[in-house]
Amino acid sequence: MTTESPQLRLKNVDKYYGPIKGGVYAVQSISMDVPKGEIIALLGSSGCGKTSTLRMVAGFEAVSAGSIELAGKPVHMLAPVKRNVAMAFEGYSLYPTVSVRDNIAFALKASRLADAEVARRVGHVAEMLEITDILDRFPSSISGGQQQRASLARALVRDADLHLLDEPMGQLEPQLRTLLRGRIKHYIKERGLTAILVTHDQTEANALADRIAVMEGGILQQYASSAEIKLRPANLFTGTFVGEPPMNVFPATASASAGEVTFDLSGGLYLRYPEAAFDSAVRQMVLTRQQVVIGVRPYAVHRTAQGAAAQVVANQWLGDQSHIAASFAGKTIVLVEHDRAALSEGQSIHIQINPEDLHVFDPATGAALAHGHALAA
Amino acid sequence: MSIELSNIRKAFKTNTVLADVSFSIAKGETLVLFGPSGAGKTVLLRLIAGVIEPDAGLIRVNGRDMAGVEPEDRGIGMAFQNFALFPHMDAFANIAAPLTARGQSKSVMKETVEKVARLLKIDHVLHHKPKELSNGQKQRTALARALSAAPSILLLDDPLRNVDAKLRFEMRLELPRLLKDQNATVIYVTQDYKEAMALGHRIAVMTAHGIQQVGTPEDIYLTPANTDIARLFGDPVINLLDVRPEWQGGQVVAMVSDRPVTLLDHYASQIGRDCILGLRSESLHFVAEGSPGAIPVEVETETPLNEKTVTLALTLRGREIMISRPAGTPGPASGQAHIAINAASALLFDRATGQRIAPVRPAMKEAVA
Repeated sequence: MTTESPQLRLKNVDKYYGPIKGGVYAVQSISMDVPKGEIIALLGSSGCGKTSTLRMVAGFEAVSAGSIELAGKPVHMLAPVKRNVAMAFEGYSLYPTVSVRDNIAFALKASRLADAEVARRVGHVAEMLEITDILDRFPSSISGGQQQRASLARALVRDADLHLLDEPMGQLEPQLRTLLRGRIKHYIKERGLTAILVTHDQTEANALADRIAVMEGGILQQYASSAEIKLRPANLFTGTFVGEPPMNVFPATASASAGEVTFDLSGGLYLRYPEAAFDSAVRQMVLTRQQVVIGVRPYAVHRTAQGAAAQVVANQWLGDQSHIAASFAGKTIVLVEHDRAALSEGQSIHIQINPEDLHVFDPATGAALAHGHALAA
Repeated sequence: MSIELSNIRKAFKTNTVLADVSFSIAKGETLVLFGPSGAGKTVLLRLIAGVIEPDAGLIRVNGRDMAGVEPEDRGIGMAFQNFALFPHMDAFANIAAPLTARGQSKSVMKETVEKVARLLKIDHVLHHKPKELSNGQKQRTALARALSAAPSILLLDDPLRNVDAKLRFEMRLELPRLLKDQNATVIYVTQDYKEAMALGHRIAVMTAHGIQQVGTPEDIYLTPANTDIARLFGDPVINLLDVRPEWQGGQVVAMVSDRPVTLLDHYASQIGRDCILGLRSESLHFVAEGSPGAIPVEVETETPLNEKTVTLALTLRGREIMISRPAGTPGPASGQAHIAINAASALLFDRATGQRIAPVRPAMKEAVA
């Protein structure tokens, strides 16, 4: 553990719109630390508060309460230009009167960098984003996807305390997007930049970010690595929002007998596990509560010779994966396999869910209660 | 009902959108029209619907020439991208509109509308007017309206375009069943290759140069007609490396990262020619140094992607190459590593034309004792 202070710190930040009584929170009491050199994604659907958060960090919106510190200094009262933040925003457009090259070089020239160094950096970032051939064009003569990459290049080329990227690849064709994700991540890491990415696309968040801040209803639901969110989702929202295909969830009634813990799903289906599969605290918790929601990720649903019965309703091969849906306990359960599955509609299968892959949630609040054998933190 | 298009031509002023398009769809089949925007997919749908007429060529439905047949007499249901809902009517009334026109009883109508609304997960907004619906909900309302009419031909223009990822996934799983129950002949337009592979019995890949390939999802993914199609299917995008096959030790090889990669003998005709080697990321895997066929690479970064881990690496010649593996399986995160290539799944393309080279079984190959 390092004692170094974070590059960015949000402390109890609110964004409130409207009159004091009867207004709405766009963002409520968000606190998070972004360590230097990390890439953070703010992930959520439209209206979740991610863009308001970014705009407060950038300085385009005032905070209603709380504080924002950047590189150890409070910045939430400063104008955007005083914050030393580089931005690639939708609508934060390119300067129309100068070429793409000059747009990208603008901030570097202002910082009195030698011409040769400016040219080298612009060339490097342009090559990385595949816009070398349009450097001498003007913004109005290039496509939306090219404008977006030019804007991204203009932000990434700078040395700033923080880089803010708002849906930076939304306009790009999918083939280019996958390639650029890898390159952008490498570029940011190589230069030791700290970046916040706003996206509604979890594929992008998973691919690029060291940590993901999942937002919903103006509230930070979970702030953790993509692997952590998948392994230990904080609640049903993050559990089912992050992960593609989404997590399978079933209401269940827990009981114990003869050294086994049983989850009674509906339709006469049971998942039975030896007691030893769970810590005693987990056993006690589920038996006290009885009514729970259990969740399992599609890749953790296995086909076996025995196990709970399910019937295939769809088997879709996508080239590199098979997505299989089966009717199970009155609902549909989804399995992912990395090979091509030879299954047809109507076929009976048996599925097994290992206890370590089981998530238990509170049906009332959605809060995670247990992951695998252990209680949720 | 079957649909048959022969030599369709359509131009708008000097802009020829469709030059010479022919294909047919069997009764009950779902054909996906897949391609980037601007390829003419929507124009093709509108021609079949009868909203516009072709400049040349023939459209036949169940063998009957559709020239001069009004759209409403073609028995075709449609859901287009730009929703086109009646703004003064709520979602329920919009979905029920085709049934009302047909004089269905109230109870049958209610049952039909609610069933399709449940399937499309809009049953909770049936009493909302279009302006109170999100774009994704509008789109599903339009889709529900097309389905409620139970037409024998359904034309669906990217109906899941504005739907969020989670719902899109659910719809992708459920739509085929829904379409099968309808027993309709379906033309489904999308720009999402996963949707194309999941929904289509066959896929017609369309680019600005017309229809490039028509085939089953297997045909398109495993034997794409050219590099453009190979690039459009698969995530991450297929690795395409410039190579010139040569003989080495009695085998056809291509040099990758200065190491010979053994190709099928079937590519012997390509010795000394400029080719492109197509390698799907999932056909590459990490191996220990010194194992047979090991190719050295420098790992740049790895990124998780839908239950896979995708590694971006550089060959010794500085070419980018992407390798994917199931999430949770071990692999190098940085530094020197070695990969192996599965020769059977490697594709070879002609570098000048981009066309895939079909492997030809060698006529005479001496048996190795």
